[in-house]
Amino acid sequence: MITLKNIEKVYQTKSIETVALHNVNLEIPKGEFVSIMGPSGCGKSTLLNIMGLLDEPTNGLVEIDGTPISNYRDKQLARLRNQKLGFVFQSYHLINDLSVLDNVELPLLYRSGTSASETRRLALTALEKVGLSARTKHFPSQLSGGQRQRVAIARALIGQPEIILADEPTGNLDSVMGEEIMNILLNLNRIDGTTIVMVTHDENMAHKTGRLIRFFDGQQVSDAKTATYNFQQV
Amino acid sequence: MIRHLFKLIWNRKKSNFLLITEIFICFLVLFGVLSLVVYNVRNYTKPLGFEHENVWLLTMRPSTDSSALNHQNLEQVLQRLHAFPEIEHVSLSSSNAPFAFSQMNNNLSYGNVKDLMADFYEVEDDYDEVMQLQVREGRWFAPQDNASHHEPIVINKALQQQLFGEEDALGKVIPVNDSTNYQVVGITDYFRAGSEFAAEGPAFFTRINLQKNPNSFWNEVLIRVKPGTGIDFEEKMVKQLSAIGKDWAMEVSTLEKMRQNKAKLTLVPMIALGLVCAFLILNVALGLFGVLWYNINSRHGEIGLRRALGAASGQIYRQFIGEVLVLATLGLLLGVVFAVQLPLLQVFEIESVVYTIAIVGAVAIIYLLTVICAFYPSRQAAAIHPAVALHEE
Ligand SMILES: Nc1ncnc2c1ncn2[C@@H]1O[C@H](COP(=O)(O)OP(=O)(O)O)[C@@H](O)[C@H]1O
Ligand SMILES: [Mg+2]
Repeated sequence: MITLKNIEKVYQTKSIETVALHNVNLEIPKGEFVSIMGPSGCGKSTLLNIMGLLDEPTNGLVEIDGTPISNYRDKQLARLRNQKLGFVFQSYHLINDLSVLDNVELPLLYRSGTSASETRRLALTALEKVGLSARTKHFPSQLSGGQRQRVAIARALIGQPEIILADEPTGNLDSVMGEEIMNILLNLNRIDGTTIVMVTHDENMAHKTGRLIRFFDGQQVSDAKTATYNFQQV
Repeated sequence: MIRHLFKLIWNRKKSNFLLITEIFICFLVLFGVLSLVVYNVRNYTKPLGFEHENVWLLTMRPSTDSSALNHQNLEQVLQRLHAFPEIEHVSLSSSNAPFAFSQMNNNLSYGNVKDLMADFYEVEDDYDEVMQLQVREGRWFAPQDNASHHEPIVINKALQQQLFGEEDALGKVIPVNDSTNYQVVGITDYFRAGSEFAAEGPAFFTRINLQKNPNSFWNEVLIRVKPGTGIDFEEKMVKQLSAIGKDWAMEVSTLEKMRQNKAKLTLVPMIALGLVCAFLILNVALGLFGVLWYNINSRHGEIGLRRALGAASGQIYRQFIGEVLVLATLGLLLGVVFAVQLPLLQVFEIESVVYTIAIVGAVAIIYLLTVICAFYPSRQAAAIHPAVALHEE
């Protein structure tokens, strides 16, 4: 569970001050599939980075499973990211000089106590889940966009994280490939119970998730359970 | 993690090839220069086998061709030199006095050893006193040698070992030509007179017998003066000697001055080589730094990703330092494979320990260099904010 309390994020560049997030209060309970929508530049990625412990809010409190992490040090944050979180990015962020299998194994490299053979087994299982068992020896440059994103998802789920944060995971893909990725994420949520927070520009995809939060200019403007279409103004 | 680093570097072998080659070449140059330095320094720390302080070298050039007359004058010069209270000992010498820029050698054969090249020095009975030579077996030349059947020689340790091995050298007769045989009467301790930086080679002394050779002439005299004797005496001495050898050119030098000149012959090229080497290393270091800087800057996305997946800042730092160390290790392994051929094949007659020290030294310097070059870029990489690094791509 992630809780954000009164989050404020201000970017200070030279003389310009950008308020990327303003007074954001959110609770993402365990097992939810939440989608976040909003125009470009409204602070969605900033929000995901703060939830993902990659960035610190200027003001406000981030709690993971009820524990505030504001005074955690770099090492502790890294361990939390490694154990509880999985990331999927719009631009995949695969390492081009590593094979598919090696890319998927990366998170376990930063987790002590997993043997090489166990790591390999988990990576193969993760690749099976995304339907890429046949491409383990390939390099990212030899794959299509959809395949690359599936490798990235396998990488996100190998460590069995409680939460997956996906920033426009289908943003670079055509609708067919996007659909495939969406189905993988939906299965992850339904079958494995993984909490997922996904930024998207696609209304259809957003409505397949359980909850839709809309952002505008750094602020939540709506938060609703999609099944009931019960919009509630914030 | 080590396996992961090797995998990364292997998969980037094309772009790493240049870096490894650069490290390899840098190692070879360093190894060469260090071998030379170690060789010279090791020789320098070994004893010379004589004391050159307070020894002067008098060089005379007669003006006439009459050898009988010159010989006569030479005897008078020696008598006069002995009479000076400032002078302790005097000995004629062939032109290869210690630290002189001239050499004399001869081939010796004995038993299975054929044509062993050895330096030889023609000296008088007082030479051991002039140079304060230590004879450790047998004896130095003495008047009793006037009556000896063979020509007496004193050999140094190196000649003894190379010509006779384990055998007792004293009394051994070495045939030289149809009419002459050498007979070993003494063995000196360490003796090397060419240069402080030269290894000890085989050498022997033959005895000058002035009375027996009435038409011969030697134009160098080694003189041991009392400590503290200076330029005043030198002028007085040359003036008085000039009265004997009319129109002879006379020149006095100290062995200390000759030592310094001889040392320059080794030191100047060594320093020049050292400077060239330092310049090369500086260039390699700058190149290495540039490449690492560029590499790390082009890998911001990867750094951000690794941070997101759970790498702490320190792990990023260690990864980049580790990559450079792996690269250096590959270049060095290649270099060491080449370098060990020199001692294995005995290309030059240099002790293996010289090469060993040079290899260890060069490896240490290269590791240090690469770590220094990698230090700053790696620290920069570790300091990159993960959100910013991911945002850039
Ligand atoms: N590192 C940064 N430095 C300065 N401004 C930033 C930085 N990251 C984002 N911003 C600004 O913050 C605002 C929100 O950005 P972002 O969260 O990326 O928006 P979105 O993902 O919704 O398109 C934008 O105005 C953007 O220009
Ligand atoms: Mg964004």
